[in-house]
Amino acid sequence: MVDIINSKAASVRFEGVSKTYGTDVLAVDDISLTIEPSTLVTLLGPSGCGKTTTLRMIAGLEIASKGRILIGDKDVTKLPATDRDVSMVFQSYALFPHMTVMENVAYGLNYSGFNKAESRDRAIAGLEIVGLAGFEKRLPSELSGGQQQRVAVARALVLEPQVLLFDEPLSNLDAKLRRQVREEIREIQQNLGLTVVYVTHDQEEALAVSDRIIVMRNAAIAQEGTPRELFEAPVDAFVADFIGEANLIPCQIEKVTGEMADISIGDYQYSLPARGMSPGAATVAVRPSRVQILASGTPDMISANIAKATYVGGHMEYTLDTPFGALFAMSGDVDQPFAVDQEVAMSFSGSGPVLLPKR
Amino acid sequence: MRTDHSEAVSQPVLIFWIIIGWVGFMVLPWYALEDVFFSFEWLFDGYPFDSDYAPAAFLVTQGEKLWLAPLVLPIVAVLAAIGRVKSDPLYAKILIASSAFGFAWLLFQGFGIGLRGWQFGTLEALFGPLGDRQFGMGYGAMFMALSFLFLFTQGVAARGAINGDVFVVSAIGGVIAVITIFVFFPIAKMLTAAFITEDQTYSVVVFLSKFLDDRLWGVSCLSGGGKCGVAWNSLFLAVSVGAITTVLGLVFALVVTRSGFKHKRVLRALTVLPIITPPFVIGLAIILLFGLSGSVTTFVADVFGIQPTRWVYGLPGVMIAQVLAFTPIAFLVLIGVVEGVSPSMEEAAQTLRASKWQVFRTVSFPLMRPGLANAFLLGFIESMADFGNPLVLGGNYDVLSTEIFFAIVGAQYDQGQAAVLAIVLLAFTLGAFYAQRFWLGKKSYTTVSGKGDAGVHPTMPSRLAIPVYVVAIVWALFTVVIYCMIVFGSFVELWGVNNTLTFKHYVTAFSFSWGDGDIRWTGAAWNSFWTTIQIAAIAAPLTAALGLLTAYLLTRQNFAGKSSFEFGTMLSFAIPGTVIGVSYILAFNVPPLELTGTGIILVISFVFRNMPVGVRAGIASMSQLDKSLDESSLTLGANSWQTFRRIILPLLKPAILAALVYSFVRAMTAVSAVIFLVSAEYDMATSYIIGRVENNDYGLAIAYSTTLIIVMLVAVGAMQLAVGRTAIGRRMSTKPES
Amino acid sequence: MKKLTLIATGVMAVLMSTTSTVAMAKDKMTLYCSAQDDWCQLMVNSFEEATGVDVSMTRKSSGETFAQIKAEAANPKGDVWWGGTGDPHLQAAEEGLTAPYVSGMRDQLNDWSISQATSAGDKTIGIYSGALGYGYNSDLLAANNLPEPACWQDLLKPEYKGHVQMANPNSSGTAYTTLATIVQLFGEEEGFEFMKGLHKNINQYTKSGSAPIKAAARGENTIGIVFMHDAVKQAVAGFPIKVVAPCEGTGYEIGSMSIIKDGRNPESAQKFYDWALSAEAQTLALQVNAFQVPSNMGAETSPSAPDLASIKLIDYDFKKYGSSAERKRLLQKWDDEVSVLPQ
Repeated sequence: MVDIINSKAASVRFEGVSKTYGTDVLAVDDISLTIEPSTLVTLLGPSGCGKTTTLRMIAGLEIASKGRILIGDKDVTKLPATDRDVSMVFQSYALFPHMTVMENVAYGLNYSGFNKAESRDRAIAGLEIVGLAGFEKRLPSELSGGQQQRVAVARALVLEPQVLLFDEPLSNLDAKLRRQVREEIREIQQNLGLTVVYVTHDQEEALAVSDRIIVMRNAAIAQEGTPRELFEAPVDAFVADFIGEANLIPCQIEKVTGEMADISIGDYQYSLPARGMSPGAATVAVRPSRVQILASGTPDMISANIAKATYVGGHMEYTLDTPFGALFAMSGDVDQPFAVDQEVAMSFSGSGPVLLPKR
Repeated sequence: MRTDHSEAVSQPVLIFWIIIGWVGFMVLPWYALEDVFFSFEWLFDGYPFDSDYAPAAFLVTQGEKLWLAPLVLPIVAVLAAIGRVKSDPLYAKILIASSAFGFAWLLFQGFGIGLRGWQFGTLEALFGPLGDRQFGMGYGAMFMALSFLFLFTQGVAARGAINGDVFVVSAIGGVIAVITIFVFFPIAKMLTAAFITEDQTYSVVVFLSKFLDDRLWGVSCLSGGGKCGVAWNSLFLAVSVGAITTVLGLVFALVVTRSGFKHKRVLRALTVLPIITPPFVIGLAIILLFGLSGSVTTFVADVFGIQPTRWVYGLPGVMIAQVLAFTPIAFLVLIGVVEGVSPSMEEAAQTLRASKWQVFRTVSFPLMRPGLANAFLLGFIESMADFGNPLVLGGNYDVLSTEIFFAIVGAQYDQGQAAVLAIVLLAFTLGAFYAQRFWLGKKSYTTVSGKGDAGVHPTMPSRLAIPVYVVAIVWALFTVVIYCMIVFGSFVELWGVNNTLTFKHYVTAFSFSWGDGDIRWTGAAWNSFWTTIQIAAIAAPLTAALGLLTAYLLTRQNFAGKSSFEFGTMLSFAIPGTVIGVSYILAFNVPPLELTGTGIILVISFVFRNMPVGVRAGIASMSQLDKSLDESSLTLGANSWQTFRRIILPLLKPAILAALVYSFVRAMTAVSAVIFLVSAEYDMATSYIIGRVENNDYGLAIAYSTTLIIVMLVAVGAMQLAVGRTAIGRRMSTKPES
Repeated sequence: MKKLTLIATGVMAVLMSTTSTVAMAKDKMTLYCSAQDDWCQLMVNSFEEATGVDVSMTRKSSGETFAQIKAEAANPKGDVWWGGTGDPHLQAAEEGLTAPYVSGMRDQLNDWSISQATSAGDKTIGIYSGALGYGYNSDLLAANNLPEPACWQDLLKPEYKGHVQMANPNSSGTAYTTLATIVQLFGEEEGFEFMKGLHKNINQYTKSGSAPIKAAARGENTIGIVFMHDAVKQAVAGFPIKVVAPCEGTGYEIGSMSIIKDGRNPESAQKFYDWALSAEAQTLALQVNAFQVPSNMGAETSPSAPDLASIKLIDYDFKKYGSSAERKRLLQKWDDEVSVLPQ
């Protein structure tokens, strides 16, 4: 049964796309990107960065003011939503409250040239995929939040869209359910080989589900890459701070030798991959988990003072007073935590910290 | 699987409208048929060669009405669009150019050539006398006009307007077209009529002399002695009625929402009653109570030995009747507002140590301001437009609405005078409309956030409660007495002269007999009764449809000129029925649109008069529907028409019902516009009743009115059943539980 | 599919029914009627019954009908204009909007009817006539201890202050006839003095001509200046109304009928014209309580109807006082000199 739902995954390409509202509000500014078929790509960014507008332009709910949008090989720039082979799962799910689950899922099929029996079979197959077989007769209001979410996914899925879009699909679910549903989405995407574009502002979610992530800022793309690339090699302070937290510390590049750069942070000396930078002022980004704290250390370590210590169950969170300002750190050692006001020694782990251009 | 319509070469919509255009030109009679609209006699009476029934094509080939010939050009030209893809720039160009030419030519010949040849001197001078003429447009012209209109919108859509959405562009085009034809055109016609002199030329001097006449603006009543101008009379009456009804409406809204009053349902029923009562019926009841020979007057005269007077004729009587009739409207507006004031704001004020009275004065009352302004505006406009009550109770207190009526139907038969008076009336109501928007425009009064509000409305402070109770109870009793009079009056032989109980009036009005297996409707009222039901039943769904479509465009679509579009659709709300009546007579009495004397003109006048209510109801409920519902339907492959039909409409049933009920009831009780537009064939209940009143036949008039009230109650109930409820489970919200 | 079938059957049904009506197509005509509604309706129904001619009727006031006929002159849609006061009929005859016709019924008609016809070149004819007068509510009169009026001059007595009603001559043909009658009766100078005196006693100038007597009937007014047949109608309806034919003499109207020139159904028009002059047709007036005096001498009259023979009628100059110039002048004068006075 399930086999009747297949994928016609296609690529998505933006060529210099801009979107302006009215005369002067620039929502998306000259974006070019390519999304490969059968991948899950996340648009990530703070609210107002243009990620939802980008998604809606793929859907055809907004029409680009400039540039070209291609789905597969076809130019869809001016095509309205109705005529694009794209489905979308909305943040609010947008289930039609006056239709049963079955009617909701079959809704799009009725407009896609399937006959009644086919629509029915496909809708049931879609519901099976999301694990909701047997719920056909219910009204959306008789389902739980997670179930409604799945109906929305099934409804989009059964149309075998070239691209499937998710607009913050998990934001209305509680934390536990969120993890479960996102795994299911990822699984369906991989099983069916769908092209999925996924919008979220939650970096953890993005890291967990994506093949690639596009980080957006101020209507433009800040960085694009695999989750690991973004996490470990952010291009700038914004990305570093947005993908996982990072301590951004001003530093000085003393000299560059081959691939490596010698830097100084105050008196503290350190060596990092140069990433093509030349001597001068720069920033170093250090993840909280990459800050090592010892009760007493060697002289080349930095001395610091514990300003705050918080027990959060799985680990300890510390705020350190250091010669170059407050620093946020995490430690897995919950059994023997440091006390507030304790003098400690601190250093950065060998890999992890990244050199970034000066802020 | 999804078909991409932009490249499909099958274009059913395009071909449909092209065919309609051809049918209009080649097949259907071009000119309006003399008799009824829905008659097919023409098919057998000399068609297609008789010049009365001939299609344009036959006329032209026979060498008649040659000015119709150019219309063939656009319908040939559009054929070139068939088979082209939408993205082809030529496609849009062909459609726009040919349909615009066709439409323009249609209008040009329609307005240029009338019953007596050229309509304008300049044309005559240019082309010499025509020696031919033409009548009002008929089926053929209508089909062609529709075809041109929708081909044009398809062209515009193909150029990329509104994302190329043909349905939305066509809907906008259609609404603009009908509003232009049936709201702006008549008003414009009326404005020009005000400048026409007796010898059919235009003159500003004539207009000014009529406009500045002392009978309109005189103020001699202030200095004593003379009468004041009609305009002042109307203005004073309308302001007073607006203010009093607003206060009373607020009183009842407070009693119903903020008191422990036990019989709220009774009070609510009492307030609904006047809405479904033909307005002047209340005027009659007042005469029966307070007239020179009225029951109360006689009683008081007997008991206190006071000489009875005619005090009720004039301002006092009209004011009482209008206040009674229009208070419910204010109440219905205000109850929503009073309920809408967020209780938590009031509770917050209370926790900030304000007393109940202070809370009311500083928080609740100011938040009700928009509702108060709305209620006042409605009362003001209703009073300005009211025709029935001043007619029966006005005495020497002349108001604009009755003056307009008698300028048209009276011995003077002065349409120019009527137009001038109507302009003054329109200026007043539009002025009030603007003033209200201006006053409310600056501040935000939104208190309903969409989040649940757990608070409870506080009860009224006693300082307020006592006078409010007194007023409410007195008014309620008064209403009860009035309605008892109305019912009683319909059962007595001859009011005040012979008080024997009888069914005579009902028999006269609604008798029927069996004969030859048929029911024979022998009663005098049946004719107008069936016409009224029929017209109201046709007008109500049209009103609701047009109103909701407009609301959909306003809430769900963005397009250039949207705010003027909105203003245009709401404008007819501020136009009194009297003005609509006059302007329709002026505009649709002559070609190219000859509609007077038909039932169509009644339907149209109701549709455009009541449409704003449909729009408002639609906007209110549509803005509560999450926009993502439409969007998800679109991304699932439904087009915007399918979305409108399958998603929006089913979820809007309450708004549909409201619009249906309102327009049905208004169509059955309206007087002011109707009185100008009825004809022998299409007589409406209200105008028939007014006729009976004028004939001193109060018994029949009241019996008929009582029947109408009952019919409306039944019809409203039936409509509720017919529209039904959309099953959406426990909640309307599409959001999950949180 | 279902829908299509439904529509198809619907169309078929309509076609069938129209075919059948066409098959027995009848003579037809269009009547413009300016009398009271129920009278118009009765005339149409009775004529259809008597002759089988299909009549489509439009009821409008005489002023409106005149304007309509004038507008349609190039392509007349009406055939006969029946009822309404004589002035606009005469005007239409003058402007050549109506056609001359000499009916075979003439020998049955009253003189005033014939003279109306001859003065207009046979383009119109009198069908009924009614004299001006006034009526009073006898109960109210007694209750207020007022004397019974009998003459025009009686109405000027100060004790009637606030008891007299008439229509506004600007809006009502009846009231204009009153004004013209008074002017012809007393001369223009004195006539206007009379109107000024009357103005002091008037409690309301109504819009419509017959409203004053209706108010009197209901006890909302004491004396109403109206056509006498309107007053009779109220008395017959059971109200305590007494009808007065003023002792100085009074004016009258002649309700008229004309055939519209170049109408589409001239034969039916003449058929109607002849029928409408018959005693049988004019007797119908009684059924709708129209107490005008019929022009056919053989028509039945109600015993309650005012007998024109016993009323002193002035020699009303329809030509002069029907002309629009004179009308305008008198109304303007009334507006300027009478209506502005304090009451």
